[in-house]
Amino acid sequence: MAKNISRRKFFAGAAAASGLAAAAPVKLAAAATAAAAQTPAARKPAAAVGLPDVWGQDFLYQWSPPENVKRDLTPGSAQIRLSCSQDITNREGSDYAAMFKAMRDGGWTACEAASAGWLSRKMPDTEVKEIKAQLKAHDVVFYGIHCAGNIIAPDPGAEQWQRHIIDAVHSADDMGCQLVLTHSGSMYPDRNRPHPLNWSREAWSRSVNALKNICKSTAGSKVEIAIEPVNTEAINNPWAFLRLREDVGDSRLMCGLDITNMVFSSNAFRMTEMLNTTFDLLEDKISYVHAKDFVWDGMLPGLDWAMNGTGNMDYETFLVRISRIKDAKMYVEFLRSADEYQQAQRNIRAIAAKVGVKVYGTQAQSLA
Amino acid sequence: MKKQFLMLMLGVMSLPVVAMAAGPDFNGAWARDAANSDPAPSAMWLTMNGGPGGPGGGGRGGGRGFGPAQVIMTVHQDAKSVHVELQGVTREYELDGKSHTKTTDTGIQKAEITANLQGDTLVIGTSQPYGGMPGNATLNIKEVWSLSADGNTLTITTTRDVPAKQETFKQVYTRTQAQPGTICSAGCIAPGR
Repeated sequence: MAKNISRRKFFAGAAAASGLAAAAPVKLAAAATAAAAQTPAARKPAAAVGLPDVWGQDFLYQWSPPENVKRDLTPGSAQIRLSCSQDITNREGSDYAAMFKAMRDGGWTACEAASAGWLSRKMPDTEVKEIKAQLKAHDVVFYGIHCAGNIIAPDPGAEQWQRHIIDAVHSADDMGCQLVLTHSGSMYPDRNRPHPLNWSREAWSRSVNALKNICKSTAGSKVEIAIEPVNTEAINNPWAFLRLREDVGDSRLMCGLDITNMVFSSNAFRMTEMLNTTFDLLEDKISYVHAKDFVWDGMLPGLDWAMNGTGNMDYETFLVRISRIKDAKMYVEFLRSADEYQQAQRNIRAIAAKVGVKVYGTQAQSLA
Repeated sequence: MKKQFLMLMLGVMSLPVVAMAAGPDFNGAWARDAANSDPAPSAMWLTMNGGPGGPGGGGRGGGRGFGPAQVIMTVHQDAKSVHVELQGVTREYELDGKSHTKTTDTGIQKAEITANLQGDTLVIGTSQPYGGMPGNATLNIKEVWSLSADGNTLTITTTRDVPAKQETFKQVYTRTQAQPGTICSAGCIAPGR
């Protein structure tokens, strides 16, 4: 599907979306930098990046969807477990029975922990056992620890963050979690601030080396190291993730997929294709999925978060594709209140029911 | 006898008037009464900045130099349809109570629309993918239009219903002399046909 577009065209679109549309030399520089990041030997020509042309390819950006986008809405067999950013916490004195009961009552059948809080306290073995027992009793899956880290930050930040990820992997092992989620990060100390050199050879090398170090230091663990592609970072599309996995050379490196974090002008109105392309490329390498939605509502290529199921995201295709992956889990985030999380869940469950996708558990009517 | 004939003729002549008066007449230009209207929720609600028209929204990007625009809606109604123009958007409703398939504003998806006069009200129902994009949650919109006794105030009560949430809000319009195509004092251009 994606084999008809050149790397140069893709980066031209990406550059335009980043507000660089008028700077043709920059486009070429971006392409050149990207090309330089490849190791020369044994690399196939990188021609498979970006969505295919629609029409008017020599004078328009390909930002409108084709007229006849195929939508295969055949659901898979997986039942999707929903989680949300009202995380599991291990604050001293936590009532885990009440915590997991509240999750279940709210329709959330999976959960993850934020790493900073989770790792800040060494739990006694009795508490770990209690957590596991209550998870089982309430049929809630604690699948991961979320590390919003920056493993390529300027030194010594990078090393500290890598240590943090390694500690999180060990903790995830102790808790029986499937994964640790993290990012490739930014060359600035603040991960969320895009550095101009985040897509340079240096950033790429730092990303690969950091992950090699984390994998080596946690060798023997079965905990997956899920990388979340994000626009502001080097790993910001499915092709970059695949190359990262190849360069790191460890099968534990998986994708924590957040489609909306890879949206820019070029694909904002082509989400059906973006979803299908991404799932086709990564399907067996996806640890779990983040569920958000967005609209493009400004003059600049500025996107804003929207309630799930009301924005540009093709939630029917999204849910169908998730239902085809193993142990499907979907993490709803970036909303503002418990009430909004319940609203999002109602939309998600309604759209899932419409396309025949099963969502695990039920949402209590009193909360619905 | 002659008097009775005249009365009968008057009665016959007034029949069309009675027939028109049987349903509400929304024809005319209407100015939105912001003071008595609820804030209209954004069609893309829950955007972080409130979205265009939403809480805290509006005024992003776009041109400069215009103050708050007066909102003028024009309505052309006949026995079979209602034609509405509001802020550059045109809607045509067939008053037969049947479902009509129309393209959403995005041009990508379809909406099912019904409209009919029910007593003193016009009821418009729309069912569409929320934002008109593929894979959206289904949005059901019900608008109920009603006139004040003197016919000079139009109230539109809108209910927007998605699985996530139901929202009801009221828009109040007053009859205005602003003609289609005229420039309003507040800087807007009343939409013309």
